[in-house]
Amino acid sequence: MSTGWPAIELRVNGTHHSICVPPMKRLLDVLREDLGLTGTKEGCGEGECGSCSVRVDGELVNSCMVPVLQAQGASIETVEGLAVKGELHPLQKAFLECGGAQCGICTPGMLMAASHLLAQNPHPSLAEIREALGGNLCRCTGFIRIFDSVLAAAAANLNARQQQDTHAR
Amino acid sequence: MRGNPEGHELVGPGTLGGVLTLLANEPGRWTPIAGGTELMVAHAAGRLDARNLVSLWGIPDLRFIRVLGDSIAIGAGCTFRDLRMDASISADFPLLAQAAGWIGSIANQSRATLGGNLVNGSPAADSSPVLLAYDAEVEIISTRGTRRVPYAEFHIGYKCNVLAADELLYAVHLPRRFAKHKQYLRKVGTRRAMAIAKVALAGRALIEQGLVREIRLGAASVAAYPTRLYRAEDSICGRRITPESIRAARAAAMAEIVPIDDIRSTAEYRRVVMANLVQEFLSGLADAGNASNPVLAQWNTAESEAAKDAILPCCGARRWADAMIAARPIAGEQELHVAADRAWDAMEEADWMEAFACHPRIGERGTSNSTAQTAAWSNQEQASTAAAAEKVLAQLAEENARYENLFGFTYIVSATGKSAEEMLAILHRRLANDRASELREAADQQRTIMHIRLRKWLAQ
Amino acid sequence: MSTSAKTRIVGSAVPRKEGVDKLLGRACYVDDMEREGMWHGLTVRSSIARGLIRSIQFDAKMDWNEFAVVTAGDIPGKNHIHLIFADQPCLADGKVNHCEEPILLIAHPDKRKLRAAMAAIHIEYEPLPAVFSIEESERQDLIVWGEDNLIKSFLLEKGNVEQAWAGAAHVIEGEYRTGAQEHLYIENNGVIAEYSAQSGVTVWGSMQCPFYVHKSLMAVFDLPEERVRVIQTETGGAFGGKEDYPSMIASHAALLAMKCGRPVKMIYDRMEDLAATTKRHPSRVRHRTAVDATGKLLAMDIELATDGGAYSTLSSTVLSRATLHSPGPYVCPNVRVRSSAWATNTVPYGAFRGFGAPQAIFAIERHMDEIAAAIGMDPVELRRRNFLHDGDTTATEQVMREPMILDKLLDRALAESNYYDRKAQFARANPASTIKRGLGITAFYHGSGFTGSGERYLNSLAGVDVTSDGVVRVLVSSTEFGQGTNTILTQIAAEALGIDISDVVMAPADTATVPNSGPTVASRTGMVVGRLIQRAGTQLIAMLRDTAGLTETFTREEFFAACGRYRAAHGDVISMCRYEPPPDIFWDDQKYRGEAYPAYAWSVQVAQVAVDTLTYSAEVEDFWAVQEVGRVLNPVLAGGQIEGGVAQGIGYALYEKVLLQNGRMANNQMTNYIMPTAEDVPPIHVYFEEIPFQHGGFGAKGLGELPHDGPAPAILNAIKDATGVSFHCIPLMPEDMMAKLAVASPIEEPAIV
Repeated sequence: MSTGWPAIELRVNGTHHSICVPPMKRLLDVLREDLGLTGTKEGCGEGECGSCSVRVDGELVNSCMVPVLQAQGASIETVEGLAVKGELHPLQKAFLECGGAQCGICTPGMLMAASHLLAQNPHPSLAEIREALGGNLCRCTGFIRIFDSVLAAAAANLNARQQQDTHAR
Repeated sequence: MRGNPEGHELVGPGTLGGVLTLLANEPGRWTPIAGGTELMVAHAAGRLDARNLVSLWGIPDLRFIRVLGDSIAIGAGCTFRDLRMDASISADFPLLAQAAGWIGSIANQSRATLGGNLVNGSPAADSSPVLLAYDAEVEIISTRGTRRVPYAEFHIGYKCNVLAADELLYAVHLPRRFAKHKQYLRKVGTRRAMAIAKVALAGRALIEQGLVREIRLGAASVAAYPTRLYRAEDSICGRRITPESIRAARAAAMAEIVPIDDIRSTAEYRRVVMANLVQEFLSGLADAGNASNPVLAQWNTAESEAAKDAILPCCGARRWADAMIAARPIAGEQELHVAADRAWDAMEEADWMEAFACHPRIGERGTSNSTAQTAAWSNQEQASTAAAAEKVLAQLAEENARYENLFGFTYIVSATGKSAEEMLAILHRRLANDRASELREAADQQRTIMHIRLRKWLAQ
Repeated sequence: MSTSAKTRIVGSAVPRKEGVDKLLGRACYVDDMEREGMWHGLTVRSSIARGLIRSIQFDAKMDWNEFAVVTAGDIPGKNHIHLIFADQPCLADGKVNHCEEPILLIAHPDKRKLRAAMAAIHIEYEPLPAVFSIEESERQDLIVWGEDNLIKSFLLEKGNVEQAWAGAAHVIEGEYRTGAQEHLYIENNGVIAEYSAQSGVTVWGSMQCPFYVHKSLMAVFDLPEERVRVIQTETGGAFGGKEDYPSMIASHAALLAMKCGRPVKMIYDRMEDLAATTKRHPSRVRHRTAVDATGKLLAMDIELATDGGAYSTLSSTVLSRATLHSPGPYVCPNVRVRSSAWATNTVPYGAFRGFGAPQAIFAIERHMDEIAAAIGMDPVELRRRNFLHDGDTTATEQVMREPMILDKLLDRALAESNYYDRKAQFARANPASTIKRGLGITAFYHGSGFTGSGERYLNSLAGVDVTSDGVVRVLVSSTEFGQGTNTILTQIAAEALGIDISDVVMAPADTATVPNSGPTVASRTGMVVGRLIQRAGTQLIAMLRDTAGLTETFTREEFFAACGRYRAAHGDVISMCRYEPPPDIFWDDQKYRGEAYPAYAWSVQVAQVAVDTLTYSAEVEDFWAVQEVGRVLNPVLAGGQIEGGVAQGIGYALYEKVLLQNGRMANNQMTNYIMPTAEDVPPIHVYFEEIPFQHGGFGAKGLGELPHDGPAPAILNAIKDATGVSFHCIPLMPEDMMAKLAVASPIEEPAIV
């Protein structure tokens, strides 16, 4: 039953989608059910755990709290969009090496919150990392190795940039 | 997901006029939804009664921050992230920036709006105490026109407000006249992030000639809706801050609030802790050094690098300075000291060493690591050594060398008010420490120096 | 093979085996799966704590033909969830014993239609009186379970406590209580089930123990084992919460699948998962302890009671572990532990990381500080004087045969935390501050593996095989749910076989594919199953040497070539091993005497706490965890286990309160059940001492539960140190602290500068 519902245009990880769904459907459910992007997880359905974090037009949001109508025309990034051509994102590499993921269910949201942080603040302090991840609950790690992972990814970014600069010269 | 999206209509006219027309044509039919951080929770829980919703998201006419000479106007559609990022809000209304940073998490702050927070009317709303303290007015709009209501009169019952069925909260106006006022904000939540206030208090006061000329106390979670503590305000306004007047204000606050037991806390806890917060704010008013605000306010909004340069002379560890930058905006002198302690607590040996290295040896002047400001302060602190006997200075030099040999870093002692002889005696005693204890003691001394310098910095 | 031999892969920080899938978002959890033609199921639950079901009405305005409806009468086999006793029904039949007890099941192709249908089902009850506390249950005025409300009791006796009181310099008594705790795995319980008359029941789901679910389904459907198949999907956290409960939800989904002839998915939402599934057992422990003038323990009389909830589930085994951990890591000639698990009309309590030990250790480790205070001794010194050493016997008269290094762990913890200097610093700073800081210490053990004869009964089977396309598979039913099973077992296999970690995979945790290597619980995987995989690897190498010409030293290519030759000559390349108890192990189930556990992991923890006397709240500011867990198989994973356990323990102590109102959880939302966030967790410093255990996988002992045992008493000890006030209950909320703290350190007269 799609009659009567407005078409919603979304750009998800660079791909354009046009869908007809009830406008009060949660962005989370649209991603998972209509677009098959099941990397984004539901942990609580009340904006508390952050497992469903995605970026909408560059802002970090809990996709369980966004009626899809309010994402009309938006550009959305999910965990599936982090790796480029099979190459892990620096955060994904760091989480793998530092033990930032255990059971993995909070990991997609955690990665989105962390990538949002690094996009705005490439070299965050530990306090800034704690704040940035304050809305993403992890029950396995005690967060310590997640902080390590974000710090490692930031350091790797810095190294990569320095190397790039060297090449440029 | 217990709600059924097919059971709800959601429209997005996209303009303020469109929304107002809808509300005017069918009063009571439409429920506005902004960032959805409240209504979507209800939707997921299957408790969203509203069948017809109109979206306020993405309407530019509701999302603005305008500085208008003696006031500032904040569109109801501003997110808390907008408030946090705005330089004029951080400068003129630091408590509002601070409260915005307490709401939920980053993901909530980028969706939750100021208007939504107020219209939802939770007794625990994070922005409400601050708006009460700042004498906010709300501007209400409909196709009939606009009207203004003091925010303190906006709520009229549990989750009830003065909005008529065709009206929308349009903007919040704050007067820009609090630069000389002492300000205070504390939220007592269930945890540090993603917390709902068990009790919160925002305070603002103007002290002149030792008298409280003007005072506001805005409180959350102690009544059916956010409220000013009028009786506590009255009890102290026009009086001096004394133990008696503070006690009277405590008693007045405890008498006027009507907290409840719920699943987050108890009425008794809320009553006692609210009184404690009132006391903390008032006690802080009595502190000397009323002039801290201009320096802090400027520093709060300065570029990171400039802010770092400004605070480094107080304590020379760069990671400490970074932590202080990250803790901005800092509302007041007391908060500055608390933040400085927290940051110093998180430091490690390498940072201590870095901070120590910025001090000249006791009895000497200047180090290669010191800035002009650091050197000037060191000279003040060690003023007594200028007058000290040559013999004492020679001993100090000798013992300094022994100390550095033994421990590998410079002897650090808070020199303010101490004679050269005293510092020498302390040095003797500390030479008997093992390295670990000495490191701690030196770091403690560094902490004392840090606090002294922070006070001097604010007094500039 | 020696456990301390130099290793290539074991002991190194091999990245998590399934890590890349999790990081890319492509790891497939059960809610990410679809089956062709799948329906969705929902559980209709009791709204009262105890009573008779008088009638069930289906509102005629719904078209019930669209729905599948299952009641107790539809169950083809036994209406109970198979565990230790058969007292818990799969669906209530005429009577309910707790709120949220499942009564009937509905399914529909559109999951969004289910809630309205549920609202159209009206159940009429005749309420019966209920009991909600240990005290009410043990009074036995009202019997709500069995003959006497008593689910299980134990008596453990060493020496004779009664003779010790008279000669003691001091006798110290105390009572300690712990609350329920929710696992709060971020992935809720969920399954998909299919049914066909030919192949029986197949279930995919989030779980720890596929063979538990398998056994339950056999009973509920009255099917032979080959017609029940259970497959674990990627599991988003468990912590014991997916040990027994998946048997319930799997049975429900399978009954609906049988009824509607379609695959049925059941995924709990957070509110349902919180309200309806198991929690950690609440407890009350009373200690009476005799010490001599030098602080030596003379007698420990311990009375331990737990609240088991409405059905027995795992309460008897949780009680057993609580009993065995209640005397702490100390030598004492006279010990008596009397323990009992009581039934109440709340959701049954179940397995949770630590399994009774955190409750027991909270009591003894808080009590040790109370003893120290009573006799005027440093709590560190009191512990040191009473530590177990090599050759000492425990309360069950188990002789400590492995090297014991509690003193070393204690010294390390004191040094790393700079314990005494910090204490002195706080003592100086506290009087002038509204923030009072303090340090607390705890010492404890955690028994690895099943208790007593448990591992012998489990009789686990595990192994490795080599596929024809050159992949080694680890064959176990041990599951991954974040703790690192996949990684450590493939490390062990690769090490034992002399090949690369990339050559080894985990066979799917599918009861049709893998043998029963026992449940993934009780800190047993690295030690017990790891050992089986190590042995299977060694056995396979010997087999290839004997019959396929594998040389003494070999490359991985030579290894796979030998496998090929073996396959050509003999068929499948497979090596299986069955559990063999370490020699000289003796356990008496009746007298509770002997080798309670094959091995113990040991730990000393230090917590630094700041108490704000304006808000009466405590925050953990720093934490040190020193432990001996045998060989550390993977330092990154092991460190992560310790940190995660400590964080969960901090939650247990200060944040996490299950608020029950008439037997129903009132705060069943994540916004109201408060776990620590990234901003609440302190730095956690982790240190390992390694003493390989000769019967563990490459020397491993248990690890996963240990860290959760210590934080709560360490934190409350630190609060005592900071404020001078003793608290005896967790969770310790600011509201609880206020009454005592406001008296101990009243808000001073307003200070005027």
